[in-house]
Amino acid sequence: MPDAPAADFKTLDQEVQGMKKDVIDLNKDLFVLQEELLFPANTQVAVYVSMDVGAFFALDSVTVKIDNKEVKNYLYTAREAEALLKGGVQEIYLGNLKVGKHELVAFFTGKGPVERDYKRGATISFDKGVGAKYLELKITDRVPKHQPEFKIKDWD
Amino acid sequence: MTRVAVQHFIYSLRPLLLSGLLLALPVHAWAKNVKPDPDGLPPQDVKDLHYGDVLFYFYQDDFFDSITRLLAARELDRLPNTQGEAELLLGGLYLSLGEHVEAGNIFEKLLNTNTSEAVRNKAWFYLGKVWYQRGYLQESERALRQVSDKIQPRISAERYMLLAQLMLREERYDDAIAALNAWHGPPDWTAYAQFNLGVALVRTGRLPQAIAPLDQVGRMDTSSEELLALRDKANLALGFALLQAERAADARPILERVRLDGPYSSKALLGVGWADSALGEFKRALVPWLALRKRNLLDSAVQESYLTVPYAYNRLGASGQAAEFYNSAIDSFDAERQRIDESIEQIRSGTLLDRLLTDDRKDTLTWYWQLKTLPDAPESRYLYQLLASNEFQEGLKNYRELNYMSRNLDNWRESLSAFNDMLDTRQQAYDERVPKTDAVMAATDLDALAKKRVDFESRINEIEKSNEVAALGTPKEQHDWARIKRIDDYLTTHPDDPELADLRERLRLVKGVMYWRMSEGFKARLWNERRSVKELEASLVETQKRAVLVKQARQGMPSNTGAFSVRVTAVNARMDQLQQRLAALSERQNRYLQALAIRQLQAQKQRIEVYQIQARYELAAIYDKAADKATQAKPKAEP
Repeated sequence: MPDAPAADFKTLDQEVQGMKKDVIDLNKDLFVLQEELLFPANTQVAVYVSMDVGAFFALDSVTVKIDNKEVKNYLYTAREAEALLKGGVQEIYLGNLKVGKHELVAFFTGKGPVERDYKRGATISFDKGVGAKYLELKITDRVPKHQPEFKIKDWD
Repeated sequence: MTRVAVQHFIYSLRPLLLSGLLLALPVHAWAKNVKPDPDGLPPQDVKDLHYGDVLFYFYQDDFFDSITRLLAARELDRLPNTQGEAELLLGGLYLSLGEHVEAGNIFEKLLNTNTSEAVRNKAWFYLGKVWYQRGYLQESERALRQVSDKIQPRISAERYMLLAQLMLREERYDDAIAALNAWHGPPDWTAYAQFNLGVALVRTGRLPQAIAPLDQVGRMDTSSEELLALRDKANLALGFALLQAERAADARPILERVRLDGPYSSKALLGVGWADSALGEFKRALVPWLALRKRNLLDSAVQESYLTVPYAYNRLGASGQAAEFYNSAIDSFDAERQRIDESIEQIRSGTLLDRLLTDDRKDTLTWYWQLKTLPDAPESRYLYQLLASNEFQEGLKNYRELNYMSRNLDNWRESLSAFNDMLDTRQQAYDERVPKTDAVMAATDLDALAKKRVDFESRINEIEKSNEVAALGTPKEQHDWARIKRIDDYLTTHPDDPELADLRERLRLVKGVMYWRMSEGFKARLWNERRSVKELEASLVETQKRAVLVKQARQGMPSNTGAFSVRVTAVNARMDQLQQRLAALSERQNRYLQALAIRQLQAQKQRIEVYQIQARYELAAIYDKAADKATQAKPKAEP
């Protein structure tokens, strides 16, 4: 049975292409559905981590606390840290918050200048309105001070 | 002929494809400061968080997650500042997932617009490469011809080389020869160009012209394993071309250049033997052929040596040894045919591909994936040749990707089941809360509250206007003031009673003190009352807002939950349909690859059968000859 004349490579390849495209599209729809269902815009809060340059800081982990409650403690692999250095931005936390005032505290640990263990924090108070709230934890190098700098940007 | 060259291309493509393409694309979520600015200027900001998120997965080679997030971000309008680069990246991601048709569509749409020439060139170039590898030769040529000459010399050289190889695959030898003659490129690519040129010339019957390029490659000094293999291959090609042209004396030294421990040594040993044999040197021919006969019978050159060794013995007049070797060959071919039959049966059982992919890392999808090792199974020994073919590798990649897609859908199915539970729970919570909410809403008359607030404010205004200080007094003050008023009223009704004169005087004093006290705190009290009115107003507005939200939620919740349920049901149906299609396509892909493998094995079996027939025929001829000799030698019987 199996060595009956097989379909030609191109015909099958084109079908596989079409199939993969359909699965990729379905994945996108599922991804959007999941986000809209679990994290509706009126309560959604998303926290991102970005890094620029990285000459004075090698990232090991980030801890995120919202309203004094730890919501994320993330340990980075070398591959992930490298992806951040290349310009990737990580969505470290996606959750829900009520409308109103909140506070986010982030702690960054890693190796600082001269390979020293380094731990720093940054805080932001923010208003959660009816739309999704995006916050960016930014790690940048401050050349004049030869130190890394940690900031939180509210994307309003 | 060009397998070595093709493999070289495949490996050279591997690390280059996307990184190369993306070097040309402005893919960074931010315009990074490559070197820290000595003046300490602030770093550039991220332009779109969601684009950065896509890149985070992309830079980890997780192309599937990356493309999912990119498509979602695009649908949700989250890439306002990175639209153009996101589209190019999307094309690149499709390409890296082997979706060359979709990638081609995106590139064609984008690259005909105002994209820079550098980006355009690279995109067309990599698309052309992928199409070449997948065997879409016309599409590949069209893409490669879109690349202008304003491109890095190395890429330009590769582009011309790909075009030439493409022509060779299409047997357009004259076009290939013209392209390769005009080709200029970096030194490590020159050997491939020369080799391909020589082969094309041989194929068109122009051996004299082919000698120079093939000889040049055959003499090159190199330590690279890849180039050493190419050198062997050039010597083999030239050697056999000379043998075919009956120039055995010229062929022999060239075939002897092939390394004895290289992948082409068996064919070279066979060729050297044939060269000796063509020169009538059968004893000398036995040296390489006997060496070859000790090797693995899987190799077609070794199989042929099972015939050439007795052939040489026979030509040397040692027919007894020749017969012995033919007999042994027939037995060996029999055993080998049996093994091939068993392997074909194994493959027909349908588990070949799954066994091939047993050790495969299952969590990644990359365009450059290739199976490098075969499982330790009897049929594996026959499949190495198959593994070197693009057709099988690309087919296997497709089969593997279909499996990945199927696992991906299985994972989502679990999530969807959780979504359904969640929606049920939400609906249940809604059903429980609605009666309580309705009761609270019914008991709350917001309009009456609003009216009360207005009345209250009017009353405050009146008090202020009439300077009615007692109205804002403490309850005790108001109580005392009322008493004073009552006494005052009584005194007013008895104006001439002399006994009340003293009381009248005392009341006047008490009233004056009381009024003075209340007047003193009047402004502060008035301010407090106004503040209360404002607070009341704010609370009322908030309550009204909440009431609207509750009303909306009450009305919206069923349709919201319902809308989600409809979406979940719809994607579930799509998933079912896709799973069915995936299973069917996967099965067809399996059958296709199985058929390829079986075809390969059957070709080997047929070759062995031909050799076996030949061996039997030669053996019969030897016996016939021996019988004739015996007949001739036998003294005639006396009449």
